[in-house]
Amino acid sequence: MSDAADFLYPFIEGDERDVGSLLVDLGRSAEGKVAASAELRRTALDNSAEIIERAASAMTDRFLMGGRLFVFGNGGSSTDAASLASLFVRPPWGQPLPARNLVDDSAVLTALGNDVGFELVFSRQLIAHSSALDIAVGLSTSGNSRNLLQCFAEATGRGLLTIGLAGYSGGEMAASPHVQHCLVVDADSVHRIQETQAALGFDLWQAVQKRLANQGQSA
Amino acid sequence: MMARVGRRTVRSMAADFGESVAVAALSLSRRFADGATLWCVAPEWSEHARHVAVEFVHPVVMGKRALPAVSVDSADPVAGLRPLVRPGDVVLAISTAACAATAALLLRARAWGATTIWMGVGEVPSTVDRDSGADHVIWAGDGPETDSPALHDGRLVLMYHVLWELTHVCFEHPGLLTADQACDEETCITCSDEGRLGEVIDNDERGMAHVRTARGVELVDTTIIADVSPGDLVLIHAGTAIAEVR
Repeated sequence: MSDAADFLYPFIEGDERDVGSLLVDLGRSAEGKVAASAELRRTALDNSAEIIERAASAMTDRFLMGGRLFVFGNGGSSTDAASLASLFVRPPWGQPLPARNLVDDSAVLTALGNDVGFELVFSRQLIAHSSALDIAVGLSTSGNSRNLLQCFAEATGRGLLTIGLAGYSGGEMAASPHVQHCLVVDADSVHRIQETQAALGFDLWQAVQKRLANQGQSA
Repeated sequence: MMARVGRRTVRSMAADFGESVAVAALSLSRRFADGATLWCVAPEWSEHARHVAVEFVHPVVMGKRALPAVSVDSADPVAGLRPLVRPGDVVLAISTAACAATAALLLRARAWGATTIWMGVGEVPSTVDRDSGADHVIWAGDGPETDSPALHDGRLVLMYHVLWELTHVCFEHPGLLTADQACDEETCITCSDEGRLGEVIDNDERGMAHVRTARGVELVDTTIIADVSPGDLVLIHAGTAIAEVR
């Protein structure tokens, strides 16, 4: 294309050659995302402070009675759940605590998915493993994952403490009677929600560790 | 209930994050455009490698193309990836600066002809490790804190999310994805007088060895360096192994 209208469509034939200006744009874009992520994490930590204190208090009571933590999520949220579980099991400081990610075993996950359906892959594991002292923490960006909602319902029926992390406006998790403590990241970018859920999970873990440390001092 | 005074503070990223992730994203998008697979490894926290792979394979943003990324969860990533990586692929390692498995993998990945990206938290790699370790180094920049807060507070996830986001921005600029790929890095081993890195496949008593390099398998004279064994890394210049790399 080489006519007078070229300036309107500078890259229409893929003949863009200015790498320098793209790199400048990319760098600015990265900085903008870093700033947006930091602002969302700051806001969510502010807004969630009271729920985190309540949830951490209830979790600490259960850990002290011998309860264990089960975490679960789908896709990227399943890996964020794995990070949360390992934070409890192999902590950078404080007490190691029993936690498991229900996505870790692909044999169990595919057996359940194949035989009873993906909606039940987490709830069926709770039936096998959980006791009434335990804790269920599910991570979802939409708040609408069927297998999480199913798992929260099963957990509630079995007496577990239930904590949900959701994004957007919280979806069905925020309205569910089976999610006792729901931390909602009020945003519409899956990426920024996941980053913020990691920060909230870290805050929740720190709050539990502080309570355990205080218990140790007063005992 | 404890009342909080003022707003919470959150940590930021290293000052050079934007620049380093931008350059890495452009390089990654060019390799993808040329048919590369992205191999993801995180020896200390395998879930982060899985998170990167799922971002690329199953994008959360509607309309973004699915790209071939694979997480490899192996106690020995060099052995796990050796048969899989092809010249032109990209290896992304997520780790601390002290991770021996990552250091071994990044060096070999270069011998195999892969572009390497090293993303991490905690103490920043030394200048020597940065230069020899990877084509692209992207670090959170907390400094030498032993508990690596960026690992837990969402910033490590942010780092690879931004890499994914910028890679897809690059796909909106097709004219910039077809640049001379062998020469778009700051240093270009192929065009310089430096030795090229290779991994010994087998050798014989006559001082010749088959060596795997970015160009494929080459028959190389090894008489001027001491004994070499399969798996050793060597520098090759003009058909001759001139040094062993440890």
